[in-house]
Amino acid sequence: MYVYLYDSFLEQRKYTSIIKAIENRLTDYGISGKILRLNNFIDAKPIIDDEIRRGAKNIVIVGNDKTFGLVLSRGAGSDCVFGFLPIGTENNTVAPVLGIPINEEGVEVLAKRKKEKMDIGLVNNRFFVSQLHVMASKVQVIYDRKFKVTAVDKMEVVVCNFQPFYWKKDKKDKEIQVVHPQDGKLEAFLRPLTKSGWFGYKYEEPSIFPFEEMEIIGENAFLVETDGRQTKEISLKLKLAKSKIEMIVGKNRMF
Amino acid sequence: MIFQKPSKQNVEVEEIYTEETIQETEDNIDTVVGPSVNVEGDFSSEGNIIVKGTVTGSVHTSRVLSVEPGAKIIANVRAGSALIAGEVRGNMKIKDSLELSATARILGDIEVKTLSVEPGAVVFGKITMPGIEGVEVKSGRRSRKTEEVAGSQNEEYLG
Repeated sequence: MYVYLYDSFLEQRKYTSIIKAIENRLTDYGISGKILRLNNFIDAKPIIDDEIRRGAKNIVIVGNDKTFGLVLSRGAGSDCVFGFLPIGTENNTVAPVLGIPINEEGVEVLAKRKKEKMDIGLVNNRFFVSQLHVMASKVQVIYDRKFKVTAVDKMEVVVCNFQPFYWKKDKKDKEIQVVHPQDGKLEAFLRPLTKSGWFGYKYEEPSIFPFEEMEIIGENAFLVETDGRQTKEISLKLKLAKSKIEMIVGKNRMF
Repeated sequence: MIFQKPSKQNVEVEEIYTEETIQETEDNIDTVVGPSVNVEGDFSSEGNIIVKGTVTGSVHTSRVLSVEPGAKIIANVRAGSALIAGEVRGNMKIKDSLELSATARILGDIEVKTLSVEPGAVVFGKITMPGIEGVEVKSGRRSRKTEEVAGSQNEEYLG
């Protein structure tokens, strides 16, 4: 049995035709199911648990990167298979990594049911699936309890799981790093900030460290964005939880 | 028939687990130490390491270590192979090949299988290569003999 979790933004009129096309295709493939609509204040975990108790075997997230992060950060570890139907061209960077085409073409991948077990990140004993972003601040990073990384001034830290990390070497250039969610490690990108001129700051070339365990300790409280949610922390402990999610992926996935 | 629903049997063919891919593999992504970053401690990686900043403590990788111009390593190094264009202060134990470019500065002993040095590289330390051990003994004996011969000749002269 399939359960579809729709994000609230799909109620906008511009998505009506796409949703209709998707629902038609789902009916054609014989995989249509119960539809539940989420909003920002709904915790996905009790909904997923409730539906599993009622016999749901497949939970399909319908939305974008934000929906994906919100649902899986709470639902990871549940006894079901997750699917993803990415909608719209904006804010959909996870879908290409999983090899799922955008809009109604994603239904075909869902119907083929190619399943993979995937690793996800644990931050202070909470799951995170797409990306963790520590805004530029004075922090030091300890990797696998073995070595410490510091910078002269502030440093920005980005830890990628499913979502790729984008950065520019200079204003013209755009180099794209693609994350491999199943290589048994998380990837951390560190970008130190150095003073440029009187008031300005300049981003240095990033450092890249694959890791299994990491600790970020700040001089003061620092701002963290995890799967689209912002919090203030003084220290963070990150770990890799292996094979926590069973997910339907496409043939053209990037791992 | 044209509008016939695809049967479930056709659709659910590819229910496959690819658990082989879950097995641990070596890192595909290189570890990069950026130019204004300091690393302290036991720095090790299963993949390639590229150093553009400063590393103190110890460095270990089973694959390639690359030290860029301007980078500094104050540590003992163990690596599969290495390309050095920066400064290394510490002993280096390289399993396979070591390439020193013109800007390289090494202060420490080197143990390596294959070594290539570009003109301009500076090395201060002992270099040991495993293939040359047997010859070293022979040449030692020869030198002793020649020393003995030279000594006896000297004695004759003195006598």
